[in-house]
Amino acid sequence: MADKPSTPLEKAARLLDLVPYISTHQGVSIAELAAEFEVTENELLSDLNTLWMCGLPGYTPLELIDLEFESGYVSIRNAEILQRVRVLTKDELVVLLVGLDILHKSIDENRSDLLLAIDSLQRKIKGIIGDVAAISPIVNSAHRALILKAISSRKTLEISYHSLIRDTVAIRKVTPLELTMDHGYEVLQAYCHLAGAYRTFRLDNIQGATLSNEVSQKDFSKQIDADLQIEFSISGRLRTTLERFRITIEPDVALKTERFVASSFSQDWLIRNAMSTLEVTEVLTPESSRTELAQRCQKTLDLYESPDFAKSS
Amino acid sequence: MSRKTERLVNLTIALLATKRYLTKAEIFRTVDGYEGTPESKERMFERDKDDLRNLGIVIEVGTFDPLFEDESGYRIKPENYQFQLGDLDSRDIALLSIAAEAWRGAALDSSALGALVKLHAIGIETDSESIPDLAPAVLSKDTNLAGAISAINSRTIITFAYLNESLQEEGRVLEPYAVASKYGHWYLFGNDLDRKGLRSFRLDRISGLITTKGRAASYEIPSSFSVESHLHETSSHQTAELYLRTGRAIGLRNKSKEIADADAPLDWHKVLISYQDQERLIEEVLWYGEDVVVIKPEVVRKSVISRLQSGVKRYG
Repeated sequence: MADKPSTPLEKAARLLDLVPYISTHQGVSIAELAAEFEVTENELLSDLNTLWMCGLPGYTPLELIDLEFESGYVSIRNAEILQRVRVLTKDELVVLLVGLDILHKSIDENRSDLLLAIDSLQRKIKGIIGDVAAISPIVNSAHRALILKAISSRKTLEISYHSLIRDTVAIRKVTPLELTMDHGYEVLQAYCHLAGAYRTFRLDNIQGATLSNEVSQKDFSKQIDADLQIEFSISGRLRTTLERFRITIEPDVALKTERFVASSFSQDWLIRNAMSTLEVTEVLTPESSRTELAQRCQKTLDLYESPDFAKSS
Repeated sequence: MSRKTERLVNLTIALLATKRYLTKAEIFRTVDGYEGTPESKERMFERDKDDLRNLGIVIEVGTFDPLFEDESGYRIKPENYQFQLGDLDSRDIALLSIAAEAWRGAALDSSALGALVKLHAIGIETDSESIPDLAPAVLSKDTNLAGAISAINSRTIITFAYLNESLQEEGRVLEPYAVASKYGHWYLFGNDLDRKGLRSFRLDRISGLITTKGRAASYEIPSSFSVESHLHETSSHQTAELYLRTGRAIGLRNKSKEIADADAPLDWHKVLISYQDQERLIEEVLWYGEDVVVIKPEVVRKSVISRLQSGVKRYG
């Protein structure tokens, strides 16, 4: 529902769209109409009352739009001029173009009928607005649909999950709780039956998902794991490094900061990021993380010096 | 309050119904809602025209008789007013509706609603049975995404502050060409007017809001520009040769091609991986620590080794 009143222009746009909609849905209820246009019933009644005053110059009953809605159901006559569905704006066409792009990349190759239909729609749209927007989605739309279904039905889901931190792909049985955003990544908060604890899963690392028929009776209320932290300094590539450690900070504050704090539920995530940014970061505390980094560097370096890998063949 | 709304609708009806151009004088005389002094009517009308154009309604300006220097008049051609995607079947409507749903709650939420209402107004039952269960989502709520798209659509130059690698703001002036999303981030492409050339920007690295500069339709997007080609960037790839420990470094493995190597140490596989950004590759190799060894190119191998050496020195 709209939480702020419409501007006169938004209202005018809605009136122009109400006419064709009512024309093809004669007898639609006020409640349904309000839901379709996402306004309150009061706002909709105000729209209909305004529309009732509109028409062709002259504005006699012969020229005015004839609306009937006192019964709670809306019908319209004498609105031939506005009856056609209005032109899509360029922004609306971008919405459709990008949405179709996601669909195209989510649909299986064996549905060439759908893929061809999408191609043809995209061609039509690009013919009007040009080749101005595209998306290469990182999340499979079918997985998202399945997760949403599991959340609403409280069913257990089996996911094949690629953990970048553990560097493994494993099947996990989870009870999905909610989809949220975490630093720009779409994540699933779920109870993981394998770990026996709450876990966060990045949707783009879910490689497969199947819905089981098990319904979860247990009440899974959310609970957040204790965060682990490291303290570190950054000597270069400040922007990318902060993004990598998912530190949100105002630029002018960042420039004055000498010791940054990164937190995660996973020690391994912190260590791997410190490895990736060896050139520009130094972990200051805790000492145990420094020791772990020293060992990991040495072990890796040993490989390069071993005869097996020493040659640059 | 709703006088303006009423006037806009009445103006649309009048301009749409007329078969010939209506002069301003005729509009002021016949269309309900134009009141006050001639100047204020004039101002009202100019604003109304702009408003209708913002709704995507094309108002044509012309004269009655080209032989005479007549006063110009206005009309809306029905073919320019109506839904422009032609005949659609119930499957098309279903696909377009799911496509629009992807933007619900995101940066272009109101445009998504606008598109959905129009699609539903066509009055064809959607055929969603034949389409697999999909929940596409765009998710970005970045106001600058909506701002960039609207500037691209109107071909308006924009300016913004961009955070460089040292988190300093750099002023940019851009003819925006396109937006594209990859790796989960939105990028803006365009002709950078100061640096004179095509540049791309990650939208979440823009500091503050994009502002428009100058008038609409102030440039054209070259026909040679293709956003798809920037999305996939197949050009200028280099290839690295790596050893991966069996069953490990899955992220790298998924992007690489295994090659036969009789000399490979036990439990190691040789793979080829193509990359564009050397720094990114080095960082990813280091992420996997002792599960990856770089063989070639020499410059990457050397850089990994030197970073490991400084790590040993720093942390040892």
